[in-house]
Amino acid sequence: MKIVVCIKQVPATGADKRYADDLRLDRAGVEAIINPLDEYAIEQALRLVDDGSVESVTYLSMGPEQASEALRRALAMGGDDAVLVTDPALAGADEWGTAKVLAAALDKLAPDVALMGMASDDARGSLVPGAVAAMRNLPLLSYGAELNVADGAARVRRLSATGYDWLSAPLPLVATVTDQVGEPRYASLKGIMAAKRKPMQTWSLSDIGLSADDLHGAALTRVTDTRAPEEKPPTERIENLPAAEAATKIADWLTTRKLI
Amino acid sequence: MSNDILFLAEFTGGSPARSALELATGAAELASQSGGSAVALAYGPGAADGAAALGAHGATRAIVLGDDDRPAIAYAAAVVSAARDGGLALLAPATPNGRDVAAVLVGTLDLPAFGPVRAARFSEGTIETEQATLQGSVITTSCPVDGAATPSVVLVLANTFTPNEGGSGSAEVSQAPAAEDLAFTQVTVAESHEADAKVVNLEEATIIVAGGRGVASEDGFGPLRELASALGGAVGASRAAADAGWIPYQLQIGQTGKVVKPSLYIGAGISGAIQHRVGMQTAEHVVAINKDPDAPIGEFADLFVVGDLFQIIPALTDEIRRRKGT
Ligand SMILES: Cc1cc2nc3c(=O)[nH]c(=O)nc-3n(C[C@H](O)[C@H](O)[C@H](O)COP(=O)(O)OP(=O)(O)OC[C@H]3O[C@@H](n4cnc5c(N)ncnc54)[C@H](O)[C@@H]3O)c2cc1C
Repeated sequence: MKIVVCIKQVPATGADKRYADDLRLDRAGVEAIINPLDEYAIEQALRLVDDGSVESVTYLSMGPEQASEALRRALAMGGDDAVLVTDPALAGADEWGTAKVLAAALDKLAPDVALMGMASDDARGSLVPGAVAAMRNLPLLSYGAELNVADGAARVRRLSATGYDWLSAPLPLVATVTDQVGEPRYASLKGIMAAKRKPMQTWSLSDIGLSADDLHGAALTRVTDTRAPEEKPPTERIENLPAAEAATKIADWLTTRKLI
Repeated sequence: MSNDILFLAEFTGGSPARSALELATGAAELASQSGGSAVALAYGPGAADGAAALGAHGATRAIVLGDDDRPAIAYAAAVVSAARDGGLALLAPATPNGRDVAAVLVGTLDLPAFGPVRAARFSEGTIETEQATLQGSVITTSCPVDGAATPSVVLVLANTFTPNEGGSGSAEVSQAPAAEDLAFTQVTVAESHEADAKVVNLEEATIIVAGGRGVASEDGFGPLRELASALGGAVGASRAAADAGWIPYQLQIGQTGKVVKPSLYIGAGISGAIQHRVGMQTAEHVVAINKDPDAPIGEFADLFVVGDLFQIIPALTDEIRRRKGT
């Protein structure tokens, strides 16, 4: 049983980010980390290795050369090897372009489960996993609070609006997990040393059978404008008042806005 | 290629989700700009009987994809078939189910995808969407690249559109074309459980009273429930409160919980961490109650009340009941 965990390098949560003049995210000078939600996918994969249901874990990332740092960090947590897909034609890829590349790389790696985090910190569509599944015509088990694999199938426990379900589908498939799978392990010093010797390959577009032409500039969408949000009135404060008076003021505020 | 605007209309337990009503109205608005009709793609328990009534909220036609209680993703193949027949845009709710189906469309038909959006419009025949990015500090406008296929897939946050009420129209109902044989139909529900405590669907709430670590215990949520009930709203939580086991995870708001857009959000004993903020920052009105005058939530709340939630919340509940005469 083989798992490929797809990870993305993103600017550190809360870092000062902005759009550059070319309407792409300016990533220069911002600390880069493994997308925090991908760490839960790594943790889930390594737990399946720990309990003996999975033999090998490979990490896959699409990104610039520097994204190899994120792959090394993942390898320090555990797992066997890593692949970075990098190509100048991929700058500015949108969710469709990213999915196209990951799908082609996964075709080559042919895992039983392609596992991903439930969302990326710096884009909020959460569309890549499902699009990858569609491009490979594989089932998708998404938003798992827990994932297990046995007897040629995988199951995820997924919260529903009012409870939870266990969803099941035959392997191979694409799955995503949430932050409920358990806190990601830290890389030990030994892990960090071991990671330096784990194999890492770098693939270009042609290595995965794609050309820049197939990718239409790696995006089907474009940003045409960026602007500051509408000015909100400054925060009003209620302080140093006895509870009853504070309550009257809050109720007045709500009444003015027709919220009561 | 038609100028129609398609939208996903999810049904559960016999009736349409609130998102179906909102998107019916949103699709009708966009269709009036594009020169087409609003077309519902209805699925889930109750869809067959309830699809026609979406006409009252703006749908001109409704295609019933199926009436069974299957995972939304299992309907994706049918959505793909329907989308192949045309349409300029397809609106999907920015919920886990909506995203699953939207992602399948993007991957199967190579479609441009947007969202979650806070506004959408047609400009010279092309869809133009607005998203809040970088923690709400930037609004970006996006459109498809030249020559991109249609329909454009648009994820829409809850409460972006207000459902038209009081309409009496009836949508013309038809059955779905045969679903393509895609792998997604293989996803099945092996088991289904209700949460221990009864939980409401937060994505549909228009008033939310949320509690965090400052609520301090399961019982601490009692006063929040009272306030929510006085306001006619629902109770939500931060991850810290859900992790502590005081409240079910279904009520967690934030990056890994629900993304909500109520008209009123009241946060009590919540510091306002970035991961919480991204789940509620588009609420129309944000009130925070926190005993720390420097809590980060005070920087983006509309009204920041500095004080002890256990004193302020009961007093506020009394005051609201008094004004409402209940
Ligand atoms: C990958 C990842 C995903 C995450 N996803 C989410 C998510 O979806 N949702 C989420 O909420 N968090 C999420 N978090 C966690 C988030 O980072 C914060 O840890 C969490 O939101 C903090 O919850 P809190 O505000 O309740 O607690 P705290 O930050 O501890 O704040 C408690 C607040 O209560 C106030 N307080 C205490 N007592 C009182 C009182 N009596 N009266 C008034 N005020 C009082 C304190 O002053 C303090 O400001 C995520 C974290 C990670 C790493």
